[in-house]
Amino acid sequence: MQSADAEVLKIDGLEVGYGRTAILPPVHLTVRRGEMWAVLGHNGGGKTTLLRTLLGLLPRVGGGIVWASGRRHVGYVPQRSSVDADLPARTIDVVRKGLHQDWSFLNPLGWLGQGATVDRAMRDTRTPPLRSRQFGTLSEGEKQRVLMAQALVSDPPMLILDEPTSAMDLNAERATFELLEELRRDRNLAVMLVSHHLAVVAEYASHVLLVDKDARFLLSGTVEEVAAHPAWQERFGRVFDAGLARRRAVVAGPVSTASVVQEVLLGQ
Amino acid sequence: MDSDLTLSLFFESWELFADSVLAGTIAGAVLGFLGVYIILRRMVFLSAALSQTAGLGVTLSYWGALQLGLTGIFASPTVGSAAATFGAVLVLSLLGERRGSRDGILGVVFLLGSAGSLIVGTQIVEELQDIQTLLFGTAVAVLPEDFHMVLGVAVVVTVIHLWWGSGFSAVALDAEGSRVRGMPTRVLEIGLLLTVALTISVTTRVLGALPVFGFSVLPAMAAIRLMPNVPRAMVVAAVIGAICGFGGYVLAFLYSLPVGAMQAMLGVAFVIVASGFGAIGSRLAGSRAGKGVEEGEGAPVANAARP
Repeated sequence: MQSADAEVLKIDGLEVGYGRTAILPPVHLTVRRGEMWAVLGHNGGGKTTLLRTLLGLLPRVGGGIVWASGRRHVGYVPQRSSVDADLPARTIDVVRKGLHQDWSFLNPLGWLGQGATVDRAMRDTRTPPLRSRQFGTLSEGEKQRVLMAQALVSDPPMLILDEPTSAMDLNAERATFELLEELRRDRNLAVMLVSHHLAVVAEYASHVLLVDKDARFLLSGTVEEVAAHPAWQERFGRVFDAGLARRRAVVAGPVSTASVVQEVLLGQ
Repeated sequence: MDSDLTLSLFFESWELFADSVLAGTIAGAVLGFLGVYIILRRMVFLSAALSQTAGLGVTLSYWGALQLGLTGIFASPTVGSAAATFGAVLVLSLLGERRGSRDGILGVVFLLGSAGSLIVGTQIVEELQDIQTLLFGTAVAVLPEDFHMVLGVAVVVTVIHLWWGSGFSAVALDAEGSRVRGMPTRVLEIGLLLTVALTISVTTRVLGALPVFGFSVLPAMAAIRLMPNVPRAMVVAAVIGAICGFGGYVLAFLYSLPVGAMQAMLGVAFVIVASGFGAIGSRLAGSRAGKGVEEGEGAPVANAARP
């Protein structure tokens, strides 16, 4: 296994946008194994554009993206599954699609015979009972777990998730974050996720990247560094502090029911 | 039914019908499994547009031979069909990239093919019967060389799909996820379109636009309602397509009806029956879940996602 803090991704002056127009200031950051990055910002603030650029779905305007492995090897969990609910696909079929990381015209069948890695990914995401179910019939929480299994099946060093809990209630959302935290810890994964839920993110994230296209503003660092920044405090301090307080309480001991996290959504 | 036309008479005359029946059966099987991609990508209209464009290509070949005195490959209906179809695929690949524009361009291609065939067809009354055959699939006799061409295309397309099918399927099911995983999605998409275009152009030339459109949509629709995943749906769609190709011809013989129309109607019957089975399967799956059957136990027979 890679060392706990091995570098996974280095973003060097990355400019994202459309055509030749950058919508955010250049991004500089390094993501290491074991870190959980939360990408925050209001709706239309540039979060998804940044993520899609990292994933190779949008061209860069400028700057560089350097993957430590020499190529983009990342597990991606989209906001909504692009697998149509009306099309025939069992859960196991959806998970297996994640094995196509090394697909090529010369070796198109290399992904066969990797049942053990499929089983491990499904076990880690607690999806074996869903194995033969039609993907389209699953609940949103179940679908997200299956998509996480799909993202993990090629054993990537990093997971990128675009608003993984957007269609969930609070309980399902918390369960998803707890599963994500478990995966990060057990597999020593780097995780980068977009979320609107400040307080929940404050509990789980180790690093934060705040983007605001309208203000041409960008802030990144550890949770503590970002939380101490005046611009951050001015915008969201009270909400974020509540989440941080809960995290500290969890570390210190049992959580009282009084410390229920406030559900405050960014930009809504 | 004409009392003189019996099943035993059909098989006694097998040598007479063999090439036609087998061409329809093979075309039904290949277009059946390709149809699953067409349904997955929501490209049903593509199949209609390409078969009409192939019809225009054949009609133009006849017109070129009669009116312009063209000879050789320039007057070959097969070459005309293939050229028109690949041209349509090229236009779609270049201009239809944007999600919003693809349907509109497909509509233009469809109308150009169907209206163009009729306009050009009326200029060459000598070949009107052949053009009618082409558009409505009333062919009862397929030449041996045409049968061999259908067989050759079927073998090539099947081998390509057996080898690269996982890539085509991944792109058809989840194009964005496939791009993130570094798959050559653009090449796979074009490759998929080209194999569809090749099959449609050749089979339209030999069997007609109506049965080809039917083969490329109906068996896949039926199979998707019955099967739990794409690979199984492809196998079943190929079987249903072959049955439609063979059975449609036999029924057309027995009842003295147009071959292409019967092949298409048989496909419609499969869709109706499969929808019934799919609905029953969904109800059974629902009642099993209601009785507290353990989540995920066993594979549903019918796709429970079907309405």
